[in-house]
Amino acid sequence: MKQILLTAGVLAVAALFAGVLVQSAPEPESGEVVLADRAAVIAQSCAACHGTEGRLVTAIPPIAGRPEAVLHAQLVAFKKDQMPGATVMPRLAKGFTDEELAALARYFSELPPE
Amino acid sequence: MKKAVASVRAWAGRRGALALAALLMAAPASAARSPESWDRIAPARELLGDAKPRAGGIELRLPAVTQDGSSVPLTVRVDHPMEEGNFVEALYLFASGNPSPELAEIRFTPLAGEARIDTRIRLDGSQTVVALARTSRGEWLAGAREVRVTVSGCNSRSAGSVENLMEVRVRAPDRLRAGQTGDVRTLINHPMETGLRADAEGRVIPERIVRTFRVEFEGRTVLEARYYRAMAANPYLLFPVAPERSGTLSFFWKEDAGESVTAEASIRVS
Amino acid sequence: MKAIPGISRREALRLLGVVGAGSLLGAALPLKARSLGSARVVVVGGGFGGATAAKYLKRFAPSLDVTLVEPQRRFYTCPFTNLYLGGLRDFESLGHDYRQLTDHYGVTVVHERAEAVDTERKEIRLSGGAALSWDRLVLSPGIDFRWGELEGYDEAAAVKAPHAWKAGPQTMLLRRQLEAMPDGGTFILVAPDNPFRCPPGPYERVSMIAHYLRTEKPRSKILLLDAKDSFSKQGLFMEGWKENYGDLIEWVPRSSDGRVLRVDAGRLEVETEFGEIHRADVLNVVPPQKAGFIAERAGVADETGWVPVNPKTFESTRVPGIYVIGDATQAAPMPKSGFVANTQAKITARAIAADLAGKAPPDPKWANTCYSLIAPGWGITVAGVYDVHDGNLREVPDSGGVSPLGADRSFRAREATYAEAWYAGIAHDTWGTRPGA
Repeated sequence: MKQILLTAGVLAVAALFAGVLVQSAPEPESGEVVLADRAAVIAQSCAACHGTEGRLVTAIPPIAGRPEAVLHAQLVAFKKDQMPGATVMPRLAKGFTDEELAALARYFSELPPE
Repeated sequence: MKKAVASVRAWAGRRGALALAALLMAAPASAARSPESWDRIAPARELLGDAKPRAGGIELRLPAVTQDGSSVPLTVRVDHPMEEGNFVEALYLFASGNPSPELAEIRFTPLAGEARIDTRIRLDGSQTVVALARTSRGEWLAGAREVRVTVSGCNSRSAGSVENLMEVRVRAPDRLRAGQTGDVRTLINHPMETGLRADAEGRVIPERIVRTFRVEFEGRTVLEARYYRAMAANPYLLFPVAPERSGTLSFFWKEDAGESVTAEASIRVS
Repeated sequence: MKAIPGISRREALRLLGVVGAGSLLGAALPLKARSLGSARVVVVGGGFGGATAAKYLKRFAPSLDVTLVEPQRRFYTCPFTNLYLGGLRDFESLGHDYRQLTDHYGVTVVHERAEAVDTERKEIRLSGGAALSWDRLVLSPGIDFRWGELEGYDEAAAVKAPHAWKAGPQTMLLRRQLEAMPDGGTFILVAPDNPFRCPPGPYERVSMIAHYLRTEKPRSKILLLDAKDSFSKQGLFMEGWKENYGDLIEWVPRSSDGRVLRVDAGRLEVETEFGEIHRADVLNVVPPQKAGFIAERAGVADETGWVPVNPKTFESTRVPGIYVIGDATQAAPMPKSGFVANTQAKITARAIAADLAGKAPPDPKWANTCYSLIAPGWGITVAGVYDVHDGNLREVPDSGGVSPLGADRSFRAREATYAEAWYAGIAHDTWGTRPGA
């Protein structure tokens, strides 16, 4: 009985996320994957100014799909107060670790631009 | 800006009671969370000696979380009679986590009608605020409440200079029925310099504190307070008074630098 | 299963933190198996918190049945109402509809009021009489007022002395009153003690009204009666007021008898703690506040009137399965801002999706930026980054803070430009609406 319930549950979970799980090869539980998850979690705040997935084009520049190296250099410069003309970004960048900034740069570089 | 030096206006007792009720609603009652918290405060231990205070009977109201440790509203009410021969003689307030834990010492007489105050205090981080009360029969009561003080750039206080130094404001109930208790509000503009702060050039600003505050009704003491440096700038005190006849309240503030100031307000009792 | 346009499989995987079927096998299953395929989440409130939560729940778990309950068909934001009051924006530009949530993301939007919550049966009752059942409930109810706590200030009084602290008819009433005010009149704003919605709001409001009055009615005065001795971005506001408006705005702190204890809306008079009577031509009272009433009815608010939450997920500490976000929560040091509600919503949506999949919630991190406009071309900000430390929310040390004092005009102008861009950005992320669309 226990076994059946468990199986039913697994199937139901699979159904719940069918849209995302079908045909996706299992990825290894590697440090990289964990880091990517972390990036998605911390990246959510960025959308409140840069638009969903950092795609919106306004006076605040879009960040989706920009080269990882450029994004990373800019974030580091913000954090070190080395970005001429910066306003609020240095204060925000200081709230993230160097690893988090690197993960953010990578995360947004992999998103398609608008 | 209109000046209101010692302005005294109509203040219905009912309204005061309502305002208090509103304040009380702002933070929940809770039994003393750490009944032994006063044992960890040296000056409280010294005060108590061998006495064992009874937990409960003192209600402390503070916000559970505050973002401005420089001015935290505090209401303390001792649930005890205030009659001749059996009244709350003294209330001692401590902030367990401050560099020096003493906040204030307030002596009441039965003329106050109730042992209760509203004030504003300074809290250096999250900690437990403790109140001890001694009755005229020598009993001790105790209460405590925890407060979490968060750091937030959103409500950062600019440590500016205090304008109109030693300007005072008082407001008493202008009309009471005999036996009725009414609220008195008092405020003095004063920086309450802690002696722990440096100016822009890095020099320590010397301690400067309003040390004592006394209230008399027709020459009889209603309340006598001794303030310490953890009282918030512009010391504010709300307390009750229950005069049995019409008369004048007199207020005396004295700072440790020697300056003093007085004010008066009259109450009609019908 | 309907695919969500614009979300790749890999991205959805990563959004959810699902790293493959292997991790599901070992998962604890929090729901009865039969309900999993159609797990239902009801979200109450279509503002910055609720609309964002509904949208991101569908992004993270497209098969979830997500219903958003919001009485208004078009939602008007509190942010930027001050710009409308100052004459810099028209009211319609603050309105947002739910078309992108329904059409693009597949959120069901019900335009009714949530009236009651039955936590036993996990049902929410709507103003039309129908009930909605939920497996997880998200409340983003914003604020309600403590009518009568400020003596003389109730709903009837607000018709004469508006609060304008919820965007809508009250905001337009205040604007009409300002337009009708004679040159040389006095505008009084009564500001509450902490905590309240939008800490810099009262100060931006007097700034924007100062802009309007200086342009249209230059002999007028502004009196700001405050129950506090300090406020958000105080130094920057004071500097900006002096530079832009001279002594037009007079701020009366609590210690100078600024705390108002009684309002006479009929006479447009207020009485302070120490008995000063001030008379206004236009009186704007921002009253004491509490969580939106549905929080109380759901049993998630405590004696303070606000909602205590688990800091990591924003699940109620009182009723499991109910998540509360936005202004209604006790989330200090995070301010009660639209930005914070939006970022809380995304972390909470992720926590709910993870919970339904039997996974642990992510380690959260939130950011906030509150823009305020002091004058056209003169913007200021306060920013913060927050995480959970020792079980409590905290501001990440050595981060955040306010714009520098004494910055040059171009710095202020850039922040004013970014303020407008921020509004477009958060509208895009919350409702999917576009500026000018």
